[in-house]
Amino acid sequence: MKKSLLLSVYGILTLSFLLFLWHYGIRSGGEDGLGEPDDGLAGDMEEQYVMVTFQSNIDYWRPVMKGFEDAAARLNVAVDFRGATQYDPIEQITVLEQVIARKPAGIAVTAIDPEKLNGAIGKAVKAGIPLVLFDSGAEGSSAQSFVGTDNYRAGAVAARELAKRLGGKGSVAVITQPNQLNHRQRTEGFKDTIAKEFPGLRIVEVADGKGTIDASRQVAEDIVARHPDIDGFFATQANGGVGIGQAMKELKLSSRKIVFGFDTDKGTLDMVKDGTIDATLAQGTWNMGYWSLLSLFHLRHGIVQPSSEEKGGVHPLPPFIDTGITVVTKSNVELFYAR
Amino acid sequence: MNGYEDVPFFQRLQMKHLPIRYKLLIHFLFITIVPSLMLGVLTDWVVNRVIERQLNENTLQLIAKVNKSLEFYMSSAQNTTYLLSYNPEIHRFLSREPLDAAAREKALQFLRGFPTLQTEIAGLMVVNARGEYLSNDMYAKAPVDLTLETWYQEAVAARGIFKIVGHPYKRSVTTHANYKDSEVVSVVRAILDPETQKVLGVVLIDLKLRVVVETAKDVRLGKTGVLMVLDEKGEPIYVPKQLGFQSIPNQWLNGQMSGEFVKTVNGRKLQFIFRKSPFTGWSTIGVFSTKEAAPEARQIRLYVGTFVFVVCFLGITASFALSHSISRPIHRLMAFMQRAEAGDLTTRYWGDSRDEIGMLGRSFTSLLTKINDLLQLTEKQEKQKREAELRILQAQIKPHFLYNTLDTIQWMARKQGAEDVSEMVQSLSRLFRIGLSKGNEFVSLAEEFEHVRSYLQIQKQRYKNKLQYTLDLDPDIAHCFVPKVILQPIVENAIYHGIKERRGPGNVAVKGERQGDRIVLTVADDGAGMDKETLGNLRRKLDLGADVQMETSGSGYGLANVQARLKLTYGAEDADLFIESERGKGTAVKLVYPLSE
Repeated sequence: MKKSLLLSVYGILTLSFLLFLWHYGIRSGGEDGLGEPDDGLAGDMEEQYVMVTFQSNIDYWRPVMKGFEDAAARLNVAVDFRGATQYDPIEQITVLEQVIARKPAGIAVTAIDPEKLNGAIGKAVKAGIPLVLFDSGAEGSSAQSFVGTDNYRAGAVAARELAKRLGGKGSVAVITQPNQLNHRQRTEGFKDTIAKEFPGLRIVEVADGKGTIDASRQVAEDIVARHPDIDGFFATQANGGVGIGQAMKELKLSSRKIVFGFDTDKGTLDMVKDGTIDATLAQGTWNMGYWSLLSLFHLRHGIVQPSSEEKGGVHPLPPFIDTGITVVTKSNVELFYAR
Repeated sequence: MNGYEDVPFFQRLQMKHLPIRYKLLIHFLFITIVPSLMLGVLTDWVVNRVIERQLNENTLQLIAKVNKSLEFYMSSAQNTTYLLSYNPEIHRFLSREPLDAAAREKALQFLRGFPTLQTEIAGLMVVNARGEYLSNDMYAKAPVDLTLETWYQEAVAARGIFKIVGHPYKRSVTTHANYKDSEVVSVVRAILDPETQKVLGVVLIDLKLRVVVETAKDVRLGKTGVLMVLDEKGEPIYVPKQLGFQSIPNQWLNGQMSGEFVKTVNGRKLQFIFRKSPFTGWSTIGVFSTKEAAPEARQIRLYVGTFVFVVCFLGITASFALSHSISRPIHRLMAFMQRAEAGDLTTRYWGDSRDEIGMLGRSFTSLLTKINDLLQLTEKQEKQKREAELRILQAQIKPHFLYNTLDTIQWMARKQGAEDVSEMVQSLSRLFRIGLSKGNEFVSLAEEFEHVRSYLQIQKQRYKNKLQYTLDLDPDIAHCFVPKVILQPIVENAIYHGIKERRGPGNVAVKGERQGDRIVLTVADDGAGMDKETLGNLRRKLDLGADVQMETSGSGYGLANVQARLKLTYGAEDADLFIESERGKGTAVKLVYPLSE
């Protein structure tokens, strides 16, 4: 009788101990807390992705930055913005190298020059930092993707729109920034399309607007002075368009010349609205920022296919993400104003 | 075995009636389990309190840091507003001087620099008292008088002091990059003429909420705690989605700068720890679910609980073992005493412990030994008494005097020519001589037979032809010893109760033979015999044995005496007396005792 009493006491004790263990040890409060945010792709606030621009204070980058920030909010990561304030490749290389030193989770960079940044870009990729290019690419570099406009096609579209408005006949000039790859591509697209599809049109000059409104305006006035019968202008970039518009306004020629601008900054939009600029091309700037960060995130978290391009395998990311272009005229210009 | 079956069951459970084993067991269990349980509970409680307090302090510190971060951004924005007012072009703009394009461009260029370096700025705008504005990234949605806007009025009301407006809902100004109202927080400052204190204009800065979010999200509170930020009106600045609610009533904060409280929201019991920033007026609030115990506390609870269980386990084992080790010797002692009580006086307590139980056992053993000794002593004394009595009896007859007297009688009888008288006296003399046999207890069988022959010769003189007798002794055992005067009483009985009582002559046959390792002496007569009843009574008397010794009157005295002496000499199991008798036929008395050389 004593043995069985002892055994039953042991039994009760062991049972209650197991119950206790289960309650406190194993069933550790998963359901008790507030719970984690149930995002699918989720990063850590410790991850910081950096965007490196040039002419970092121009308004053009604002929508791109917003896209970058919106993606960061979705993915629960941190972002930072750096850039060369001037239009200076050396400055941008310096800034980029400084960013690389901080070992961010990823870098999105827009190349001020298609070749000069390759060295720095290579350093980043070698250091294992995910890097994508946006807006202005560098084809020879080892960046893993380019998110931006199909600039060649943009130029082609501009050519067709301009030709449409000119009835396929006349002379036009292009004001651009010849050192930037994207501008070159747009100019090429424009030139090739004119040459192929509109033999009646003639490009009299491709001038350097230096990326500022003032310089572009000067150049525009200069061109009009030298080619008074010029019919239209194509600016490959926003300031160019605004500068040309201002020149037309001053010369009181705005109704007689067709101006094709680029981008949708407020100055350009206003001019489209009042007719100084006949049409402009909107780029998917918000998308550039958003999909850059998404691509970087995927690279960072290894959500891509393991075999890399280097080993001769599949591209880890789409090598070119086309953010699209839209022709903006008076009829749809309202859509492009901020709400 | 328990000895208290007569006590009803529930009374048996009373402490005083419980066996010592259970008493001890209960006490030991109590001593081990209760303190360790109490210790466990106390430790758990204290640790939880300590951890909770530390957590709260920790959280408050974290929140303080978050507040500092937010204050830093605000401070930065404030500095910007001052920097802006120092710029000459902006100053001219505020003084309502008309700006040409170049000056305007310079002013805008200056403004452009700020969002570049301070990336938390979403937009920047300077408005002068006429409602004209300078901005790179913000513009009026419609041609409205900006001086009538709420934020403008608030800045004016603050009289040049930096003010946080909060989310810019219902505003006529928007940022070109399309920041939603919930994504930015506006701050304003009116720029006053230092001399006239008139309002020259207002600086409006939109700060990205992203920086607040990044600061708040970066903080890990416990396992699943989150941070939320509310402005001084209780409007949400940043509230994480998983909380499920947008805001909490301001009165919960009770107007204090920091503190904590517990409230139930949407059915969940939540703990709030908050700290208000005096500069921004915002409250940073950490929110925890009260059901979530810190993982450390959980761990400690687990360890303490395991410890308590192990101790209980050990305690129970030890209690059983200890109580057993104490109660078992007691049980053994009890069993030993019960055996002695039942009559086994030769049982002994085997135990070598030096404690009280051992001493009790040894004392009891010595007690038993003493009792045993006393009993044996009493027996011996009884025997000695009987022997003494016998001796006294025998000593009453002084041998020399007797022999001399008998000799004289014999000589006188011979002198008178009475041969028969002489022979009788001779027989008597022989009878006494052997009967006394110089005080010896034992005689040889030959002598004993001589003794009984003498007796029979004497008796024959009296009874003449009525008495016949035969004596038959195996010569091989003639030398063996036997207690003296053992046959004579039986023969006497045979004559007086057998022969005398019958009609006609009777025969007494005395035989002595050996049967195996025993000597059998038989006295058989063909006298009157006994009926069954008498025989039965006689046998019963003999069976009762030693107690009947000293009865001098009544039948069976001699037989009882003989039996008693036989048994005393040879042991009760080895010697005995048997009687057979039949009324009218005769009686036979058999003495059996072991042969010894």
